[in-house]
Amino acid sequence: MTKIATTVALALVPMAMLVQSAIAQGPPNRGNPQAASVSSDTDTRAYNKRDFNGLWARNPQAYGLPRCPECADPGPWPPASYGFLGTPPPRTPEGQKLFDMNKPGRGFELGSEEANRRTDLDVGMRRAVLPAFGNDPEARCEPLGLARLITFSGGGATMEMIHSQANDRILQRFEWTWDNREIWLDGRKIPNVDDYLPRYNGYSTARWEGDTLVVTSTGFDDRQWLDQYGYPISGKAVLEERWERPSPNRLRVQLTLTDPAIYTAPWKSSLKVWTLIPKDKMAIGGWSGILEDRCVPSDEQKFNEFRDHAAGKK
Amino acid sequence: MKNAHRTVLSTVAALLLATPFVAAHHGSAISYDTTHLWSTWATVTSFSYQNPHPTMMFDRTTKDGTVEHWVSELLTNPSVLARAGWTRGKSVDALKAGTRVKLYVGTSRAGGHSGIVMKIENEQGENIVGDRSDVKAVDLDGVPNGLQPTGEKKLPGQPGA
Repeated sequence: MTKIATTVALALVPMAMLVQSAIAQGPPNRGNPQAASVSSDTDTRAYNKRDFNGLWARNPQAYGLPRCPECADPGPWPPASYGFLGTPPPRTPEGQKLFDMNKPGRGFELGSEEANRRTDLDVGMRRAVLPAFGNDPEARCEPLGLARLITFSGGGATMEMIHSQANDRILQRFEWTWDNREIWLDGRKIPNVDDYLPRYNGYSTARWEGDTLVVTSTGFDDRQWLDQYGYPISGKAVLEERWERPSPNRLRVQLTLTDPAIYTAPWKSSLKVWTLIPKDKMAIGGWSGILEDRCVPSDEQKFNEFRDHAAGKK
Repeated sequence: MKNAHRTVLSTVAALLLATPFVAAHHGSAISYDTTHLWSTWATVTSFSYQNPHPTMMFDRTTKDGTVEHWVSELLTNPSVLARAGWTRGKSVDALKAGTRVKLYVGTSRAGGHSGIVMKIENEQGENIVGDRSDVKAVDLDGVPNGLQPTGEKKLPGQPGA
């Protein structure tokens, strides 16, 4: 038996080294958000900085293109963290109450050694529960909401930007859940949220500041989570997005959430960066474009049965 | 056997990170012990190519001839599979009921015959329905119950396998 144990343990050594190696490599900008502002794109061809048309992803290596180090979220964890990130401001009493009600399945597991040790991270990153015992709206195929669509897009799920022919709006399409939003450029004013029905993706107007597209969104449905870590967002929130195309093959955005009902100060996200994926690279069977990657409730229900079984949930 | 398991796992625990950051699609990884992967030959009994993760049921036969019925989910989601060339038709065809495959598994933290499949190989040794060719695991083909979670990986209050 001792021999078996030794054999098994030795067999696992390469696996351990592999895991440790992967962790050691990590994203080059890990722990240094400023590094994300430098584009690694070496394409020097002339381009229109106000043209965001195209298919965008954060994992260009999946399409046979060079890696994009700054496309990974900054942070001390694996690159696929896909959160709003930045430094969450203190929550209001009402915000804290809503925050406590949300039980995410992502982050360091609540009560784990890492969760207890990483006190440098906001508690939102250190309170994950098994999805079977969480209440993530995504697990019911509810709409993700705008901020979560943006922060999640680009890894396994991609994003498309389309300028309308009349140039009065930009249509943004998201692969995961097959969702979309309009960014209006026709000069309309930000709506009074009390005059409108709330929407998961809100109402978005935009203006150009130089080559930066500044988008302001309001009118959110407060049943959504701000991101996959369960941060709440209220119906009175204002989300500002500052989109730029710093090089031919990069698109980036900085988000700022102002939501005094939930947070005591504006919250600036980490910088999110995407790579332009040529149409022919993002094609299956010759058909290019984003996938119809819907969250189908009946599929989700079946999956959740497996999920619950794995968690020993009766 | 218990002592042997304890020896193996304590050795491995010293080598691996105890708890990875849980960020997989739908947070699946947190439900399984993905830091202690093991492999086994198995026979597919059903496969469903669906969001957010495909699911698969399979049987494996232990050294004493007992057939274990397992349920599992695949870590790789359909959009990633499709882009890696594993479209629905091709995947379903590759994992027809009765197909013999080698699976790289992380057992559910509740224990028992439930797991997450990180990698699949066919009888020719080719990586199929996935793109995680670098996944490594300890071979426990024929070992009853495969590798069951212990220590902090084992969820409290769960029965043993």
